[in-house]
Amino acid sequence: MIIRHFALRHGRRVLARNFQPRRFLSSEVDAIEASAENSTKQLQSLKSELNPHVPAPAASIDPETHATSPSTQITSSLAEQYHLFKQQQKLTGKLGSDISPHYQPHTLLNHPPSPANVTLELLLASEAHQGHATSLWNPANARYIHGVRQGIHIISLDVTAAHLRRAAKVVQEVSKRGGIVLFVGTRDGQDRAVVRAAELAKGYHLFERWIPGSITNGQQILGRCQTKVVNEKDEVVPGFEEQLYERPVLKPDLVVCMNPMENYVLLHECALNNIPTIGVIDTNADPTWVTYPIPANDDSLRCIQVIAGVLGRAGQAGQKQRLDAAERGDITYRPAKGLRIPGEDENKDSFPEVDAEVRKILHEKESLENADDLADKPGTAANYESDGRMVHVTS
Amino acid sequence: MGRYDFRPLRVRQTAKALFDTKRNASLPCWYDTIGNIPPSETLARPILRAPRPKGGKKPSRMFQPLPIHHPEDKLRSEFFGDHPWELARPRILVEDSGNDAKGYDWSKIVQPGKQLDGESVVQRQMWLMKHKQYPKAKAYDVARREFYQHRHLEEIRQRVAKEEALSTGAYFGKGPLEIGMELEDRTWESWKAWAERQIEDEQQTRAQMFSGPQDELSAPELEEALEEVQPAVSELKEAQPASGGPALHP
Repeated sequence: MIIRHFALRHGRRVLARNFQPRRFLSSEVDAIEASAENSTKQLQSLKSELNPHVPAPAASIDPETHATSPSTQITSSLAEQYHLFKQQQKLTGKLGSDISPHYQPHTLLNHPPSPANVTLELLLASEAHQGHATSLWNPANARYIHGVRQGIHIISLDVTAAHLRRAAKVVQEVSKRGGIVLFVGTRDGQDRAVVRAAELAKGYHLFERWIPGSITNGQQILGRCQTKVVNEKDEVVPGFEEQLYERPVLKPDLVVCMNPMENYVLLHECALNNIPTIGVIDTNADPTWVTYPIPANDDSLRCIQVIAGVLGRAGQAGQKQRLDAAERGDITYRPAKGLRIPGEDENKDSFPEVDAEVRKILHEKESLENADDLADKPGTAANYESDGRMVHVTS
Repeated sequence: MGRYDFRPLRVRQTAKALFDTKRNASLPCWYDTIGNIPPSETLARPILRAPRPKGGKKPSRMFQPLPIHHPEDKLRSEFFGDHPWELARPRILVEDSGNDAKGYDWSKIVQPGKQLDGESVVQRQMWLMKHKQYPKAKAYDVARREFYQHRHLEEIRQRVAKEEALSTGAYFGKGPLEIGMELEDRTWESWKAWAERQIEDEQQTRAQMFSGPQDELSAPELEEALEEVQPAVSELKEAQPASGGPALHP
């Protein structure tokens, strides 16, 4: 039996290899000349055997055009290659196992779910229900807790879904009215989710560290950030550079915080400046720190990706509504005050009704928005980083 | 102020007050939004445990969350009590859609897309108890034996796969014995280096402590001394007693 297996397993390989019989100690030893001759013969035969299998040398690349020399270029046309590929696909496409749909981590970032697609199953799969150890709880979260399981609190997912939808509605409305939405997630691994949400909602993101005082002491910290004026279709209107120097620093209209436990300073500054906040509240966090709590597990990156994606989608919907209204000629936000159309007479300033007039002109021609490009501030606000997105001044 | 800061919850009222007192020229853009979508009630503690009719628990417990129990908890603890090493096996905990368990049919113990583990036994036992009305012990035995059988087949499959891979030239890295030998060799070499250093140091200190004249003989002197002694030795009639060590020092 063993021999049969051996023949089955090794037979082909053994036959393929034209091995030399072993020379044992007892066998006769050739003279030195004879053995040398033998070895040269072997070498030559090896060489002749190997030569037909040596691959053709790779085509040399022309250093200037970065193309292979014309003599060695592939002769078959693109159509032939495509047909060959299709034929291969037809032959081998159905081979192998069938992979049923499964969780792929990147899909939550590439195609985040919209608020309408939030299901309890999705929240369960993203571990939104797992709280902290029962001894760490904040009793103010008792409303959101479903029960105790293996020493941890279980957050009830229907409450999570309801609060998430409510927060999404708020983000959508604020984006529709042209407010500045700031997405904050300063834990490791939250950066991509936060950036993606800001990208969708045309908002801002922060993923490194909140510089304390960026709101309460903004003139010192963000004073040198570049701002710009855009019209209702988000096109930049040049010529306002001098007027923008004297304007106060912009403040967000809505702050979405993914980890309130680490960002108490930010939330406190928002409270001092009367800015509404949305926060992911785990069972050990204090829900009174934020205006709109979303009870969920803030330690699960998948959960954070779902929540940030949903809020980003909501912001995207709001921005779309705003731009659609702008196409129709409606303006959904209050235009910026105190901006003069460049080139107009300066002494008009003294007239008391100048604000109203500017506004009127703006309504007729182009409504002005003030855009803040916080990314251009070197050093202190490097983590503000936005790719030139526009923001509307409502003050 | 008190303990809690309610300013985040009262942003709308504050904005209204600031506008009314002319501190702010206009209302913020979110004023209507927050009016239409107000924040939820906070700091309310619902009663989570119905109070017992007589005596019993403390009233403060009424506001604490209840533990969650499932019928399979006991079966699970029983199985893993009997098979503690099942807990040491690696397990996939990632859910695909959150509805993974709905696709399983526990009339068989093997599920496509789910690895066979202790949880399979528990679910199979539950199914047998529910649908075939088996008593708990019998259901456990049936599920357990199916589990052993499939685990056995799985191990055979793995072994054969490994053999096949090895026979076709796969290399799975160093084995535990090779790694152990390497570690031992490294330790031995480092010990050797340390020991040589120690010996050297000791010799040096000894040489420093002894400062007298060096009385060791050089090679020509030694030969001379030997020549002097040899005739005297050969003249002796008696056999030489084997007294080890050189007696050649002059």
